[in-house]
Amino acid sequence: MKPLLLSLFCAGTLSAVAGSFDRHCVPCHRKEGVSLRQTFMNALLIYSGEHNMKAGLKYFLYHPSIETSVMGRTYFRNHRLKKPSSLPEKEMDAALDEYWERYKVIGHLK
Amino acid sequence: MLIAQKERMIDYAAEQVRRLKRLHEAFPRRNRYPRDPRFRSAIYDLEYVQIFSTLRDNRVDFLRDIYRTGGYIHFVKLLDSYYLGAKYLFIEVPENHEWWTRTLSRILIAGLVSGVFLTLLGIYLARLFVRPMRRSIELLDDFIQDTTHEINTPVHTILGNVEMIDPRNLSDRDRRRFERIAIAARSISTLYEDLKFLTLEQDRPLQEERIDLAQLLEERLEYFEILFRTKALRLHRDLVPTVLRADRRLIARLIDNLLSNAVKYNRRGGRIEVRLRPGVLEIVDTGVGMSPEEIEEIFERYHRFNDTEGGFGLGLDIVRRITEHYGMRIEVQSNKGEGTTMRVYFDAGETERREK
Ligand code: HEC
Repeated sequence: MKPLLLSLFCAGTLSAVAGSFDRHCVPCHRKEGVSLRQTFMNALLIYSGEHNMKAGLKYFLYHPSIETSVMGRTYFRNHRLKKPSSLPEKEMDAALDEYWERYKVIGHLK
Repeated sequence: MLIAQKERMIDYAAEQVRRLKRLHEAFPRRNRYPRDPRFRSAIYDLEYVQIFSTLRDNRVDFLRDIYRTGGYIHFVKLLDSYYLGAKYLFIEVPENHEWWTRTLSRILIAGLVSGVFLTLLGIYLARLFVRPMRRSIELLDDFIQDTTHEINTPVHTILGNVEMIDPRNLSDRDRRRFERIAIAARSISTLYEDLKFLTLEQDRPLQEERIDLAQLLEERLEYFEILFRTKALRLHRDLVPTVLRADRRLIARLIDNLLSNAVKYNRRGGRIEVRLRPGVLEIVDTGVGMSPEEIEEIFERYHRFNDTEGGFGLGLDIVRRITEHYGMRIEVQSNKGEGTTMRVYFDAGETERREK
């Protein structure tokens, strides 16, 4: 019984990390009507590089502010700023990795 | 060379940035990297990771602005907004001289064409403005030539008849009138001779002969005598017999003009000295005199330096022409208000002392 529990737990944590983006980010964005493609392109315009972007977004998601947002001031005229995330750092990193992989430009130009 | 290329590469870069912006907005619906037949390019992100490249030579240098690399020139542009994540845009053109020589020859051809055009325009405009001027000068010349011809007969008729009249047979009043007529006739005759010299006799063949200069001077002084008298001028002559080889009529014109000036610009009751030595003829008057600047100008044609005196101002121009023709030197010495001394030096080769 023990090994099964252990393996279930392991699988649980693994899958928790593996699908992090789809579970923690997509639903809320869908609900809020904020396109994750659009936010990605906006972020690219500001952060440029992969690591720079991940670090920048991570900080923003934990400490959102209008000044550091990539959405632009006009967006906040009729939208609210999001709440600070309470996602554990490990899952945040995994979500951002997936986010990058899914929307990145490198390798998708012809 | 690199500088010459840079300008157009800046243009290429600006164009490429505009295309990247459009692609950024349409991504991923559109994902074809913009290409241009004139150049190749590449984009890199802030972490020096290549996003896309069509470069032939991918050895890129992020720290420089423009540089050569294996047959290519790379120009680096830093983007302000990172379209598609790109911070660095590289523009690559082949390092051939073709473009450079083409541009250079284009510049040269354009310069040449506009140069030729401007020259032709200049010539055309000059013609346009000069034509009426030339026409009026021609008209004046023609007029003078025609008039000169026409004056000939009446002048000689008057002079011939004046000389035939004996003033002694006239009453005092008539004699004075007659003398005035005689003077006027002589003035016209001198003017006529001058005009004839300038217009009609230019091409007359010269007759070089031995001239007894003292005798010729006496002759001319006699001719002027009546003029001296009306201005109450005292004449001093000191003539050493001298022979000059030249055209008699030219030398007569020379003497006439010098004397005529000495009379014209003299004051009433003044003095005229005529001195002849081998090699030099000197005519001194006690007239208005001239400033050094005026002396500079007097030999110019049509210049009349004293407005109160008549005359065409031809006189000294004729003097200059004749002295120049014979290589004579003319010296003018003058003090304003005191008078003028004109000295004509003949060439030593042209003179000889006549043995007495
Ligand atoms: C509770 C809802 C919610 C969740 C969960 C959420 N987001 Fe968002 N997110 C928003 C909203 C609303 C905005 C737009 C307003 C703003 O930027 O504050 C936003 C903005 C963003 C932006 C733009 C950042 C910026 O600088 O403005 C990015 C990128 C983003 N989200 C990514 C994520 C990722 C990745 C996750 C998962 C780890 C995530 N979001 C989870 C609601 C959410």
